[in-house]
Amino acid sequence: MAKPRIAVFKFSSCAGCQLEIVNLENALLDVLGAIDVAYFVMASRDMEEGPYDIGFVEGAVTSPHEIERIKEVRKNCKILVAMGTCACTGGLPSIKNWTSQREMEARVYTELWAINSTTAYGIDHYVPVDVYLRGCPIDLNELVDLVKAALLGVAPPFRPHAICVECKLKENACVMLQGKPCMGPVTAGGCGALCPSHNKGCEGCRGPNNDTNAASLAKTFAEMGLSKADVVRKFRKYAGNTPQFNEGAEAL
Amino acid sequence: MLPVEVAVLKKADVASFVGMLTKDYKVFGPTKKENQFAFGPIDSAADLSLDYTTTILPPKKYFHQPVETMMSFKSGDVTSEGAKLDGKQLLFGVHPCDVNAILLLDKVYRDKYEDPYYADKRDNTVIVAMNCTEVGQNCFCSSFNTGPGLDEGYDLLLTDLGDKYLVQAGSAAGKDLVAKAGLGSAAAEDLVAKDKVLRAAQNKIGKKVDTENLAEILNANFNHPKWQEVKDSCLACGTCTTVCPTCYCFSVADKVDLTLVSGERPRVWDSCLLKEFAEVALGHNFRKERDARFKQRFYHKLSYFESQFGAPGCVGCGRCVTFCVKNIDIVAIANEIASGAEETKPSVVLSKKAPGECKGNPYKPLKAVIKGIKQQTYDTTTYTMSFVDDKVQQEYKYDPGTFNMITLFGIGEAPISISSCADEKGTFDHTIRAVGNVTKALTQYKVGDVVGVRGPYGIGWPVEEMKGKNVLLIAGGIGLAPLRPVINHIKNRRSEYGKFEILYGAKTPNDMLFTDEFDTLRIIPDTNLLLTTDNPGGVKWEHNVGVVTTLFEKMKSVPENTIMVTCGPDIMMKFVVKGLLAKGWAPEQIYVSLERRMNCGIKKCGKCQIGPLFCCQDGPVFNYGEIQGLPEEIF
Repeated sequence: MAKPRIAVFKFSSCAGCQLEIVNLENALLDVLGAIDVAYFVMASRDMEEGPYDIGFVEGAVTSPHEIERIKEVRKNCKILVAMGTCACTGGLPSIKNWTSQREMEARVYTELWAINSTTAYGIDHYVPVDVYLRGCPIDLNELVDLVKAALLGVAPPFRPHAICVECKLKENACVMLQGKPCMGPVTAGGCGALCPSHNKGCEGCRGPNNDTNAASLAKTFAEMGLSKADVVRKFRKYAGNTPQFNEGAEAL
Repeated sequence: MLPVEVAVLKKADVASFVGMLTKDYKVFGPTKKENQFAFGPIDSAADLSLDYTTTILPPKKYFHQPVETMMSFKSGDVTSEGAKLDGKQLLFGVHPCDVNAILLLDKVYRDKYEDPYYADKRDNTVIVAMNCTEVGQNCFCSSFNTGPGLDEGYDLLLTDLGDKYLVQAGSAAGKDLVAKAGLGSAAAEDLVAKDKVLRAAQNKIGKKVDTENLAEILNANFNHPKWQEVKDSCLACGTCTTVCPTCYCFSVADKVDLTLVSGERPRVWDSCLLKEFAEVALGHNFRKERDARFKQRFYHKLSYFESQFGAPGCVGCGRCVTFCVKNIDIVAIANEIASGAEETKPSVVLSKKAPGECKGNPYKPLKAVIKGIKQQTYDTTTYTMSFVDDKVQQEYKYDPGTFNMITLFGIGEAPISISSCADEKGTFDHTIRAVGNVTKALTQYKVGDVVGVRGPYGIGWPVEEMKGKNVLLIAGGIGLAPLRPVINHIKNRRSEYGKFEILYGAKTPNDMLFTDEFDTLRIIPDTNLLLTTDNPGGVKWEHNVGVVTTLFEKMKSVPENTIMVTCGPDIMMKFVVKGLLAKGWAPEQIYVSLERRMNCGIKKCGKCQIGPLFCCQDGPVFNYGEIQGLPEEIF
């Protein structure tokens, strides 16, 4: 691929993933040599029209306006990347999905007449997605790997399996064996087992791995002393929309 | 002072002894990590936790590193072949199970294709082992005679005798260390004391697996109801294999820098528990289900490894039990299956070994130039290649049905069968369907471009056994590529073979390979060519319509004095074999070429295993009679 034209779009999100891109610093300069940033509100003043070779979408889709906008973005991008957990699975915004819409809106807003929100979904609920860049926030090494893979025209070398593999390769002391619940065994790797490497249980931000046995892990959480409500929260924190994690939430 | 075989080291002197070791070696030993242990760098004896039960990762990580650069490359050239070990390293306090596991890895990595990365570290490492006087709750080494006492594989062996260690030297390096440290000689009662503490340790081991006929019993119970229970519980997280001291599988994936032309080819430990492990291009997965993958690990340890390397693949270290968050216990499973089991089934043993030898680094590809490119179908192309080094090309010999590993540095490496006949000197052909990273990238290559090639690997078609016999050749789609050498081999020696019949099927006429060669096939004397397509589409088609087995009604071949060779999609081969067996063919007359994921071609990466067989070196061509008893599904 010749210098690909890149666009970055923000939907319902904290902008943390875009900030990660800006944080690339040294690597960013090298990457910038290889790409042409055509649309990136946070980092550039010049906004160019589409179509784009690669579109990075951050954020969940949570309003009728966003539903229309994501369809437009899809039309304008050859490769569409769901960037970050919100765009991949609905992410943190999706924790509202199990409470009634009006009740949730009333907790946050006063002028309810002006609020028109929808169930929070990842963007693939509305449009086909080519690549998922997982994590809250995204992993910069994976972002660079993705750009390189796109330039080479090959599939990005992402880990589809459980976090446990990278955790063990780093020889971390297993947090589960220290009595701390960890979503690592059902969560897709690629982050380098970031939280367990700091001796904290994985929160599952990267969503389900490619062979999720969430029901089995939920049972183990219960045996470790977690209440049913705690287990449900574990599985609905980032990717409750996915059938895999939903199975964990409903296992007990 | 004269070197002594048996000495004593007072515990008060351990600090100075370790201090001495750190001067000459990079020392690694057991250290505390939260409520667990890990082998780590040792600067002084204070860093050691010699009361450890087991470490998270076994010390194999110092020989076969979790992530290791095999070579660096730039613009298609290998610029370095991995880093050599800097100085010598010493592993202190290695338990007998782990030493025995290293001896098993020697069998895997130091065969005719010696792994240079492993060998370098192995040759430059001193092992100070330590017998176990305390045992962990998951230890079951005594079931495999791999502990609590150690018999071989050490330079020095320590046994805790209370206020001192008994020190036994097992090598010249070990004797030198004893001499250098000036350790005092042991007394006869110290050896008696050693026996006593080891007997006591042995008695403390609570876990036991009855290993008598275990492999044969397990082979007969591949579909035991226990496996459903395991499937429901197992998280397929890969922990059990990653912490296993005898697991050796790895995957290889190139990493380029932002120039996209230079980078590294690392290997990373892989795990048969992971879903993608046995997945091939186009998404077919030979072990899609979790229980199939769990069984692969379990059977590899307790059945297959012995067929492959002559010893059980488990040393009873207990790590896979200790570190499993679901407490899945292979000892309990083995005992449950074995209890009350009466049926046994012998392991599959093959009659042939692959030819081939290794000069230098077996992973390093040689440069080959593309001499010709011929489009076969919309997605399949034949590349005619020749090694850049004339001498290599002249000496390059291969059997029909064998394969090469093709490298495009920066993209990766893929196993591809050779589609030419070795009678054609000067060049060799690969007929490639663009379905994966490497094969798709190759479509951008032009005549004169250079790729990396290493091989040939494996056992090919039985062209010698076929002599004097009739031959039935059945191919499906791209499966004709590895069979084309057989056709040309017979064509060039027509009088040496009996009747020759070719059945070739493809999805549509547009998916057929080598169509321009069909006419030359028809004029080979005493040869019958039958074609079929599942769906002729809009193309003019005068031949059969239907799957390849529908040609069985039209073919002339009969079982008498005939050998059948087949290659095609798994589902096709499955029905071809089934159909011929039903028509009275014997399994021994049937040869199949199997496809599996491969990252090395030389029995190292572990990806291509089918039960106890390595598709890369025991195949890819197998006699169906020899493999029909495999516990795992073949097709």
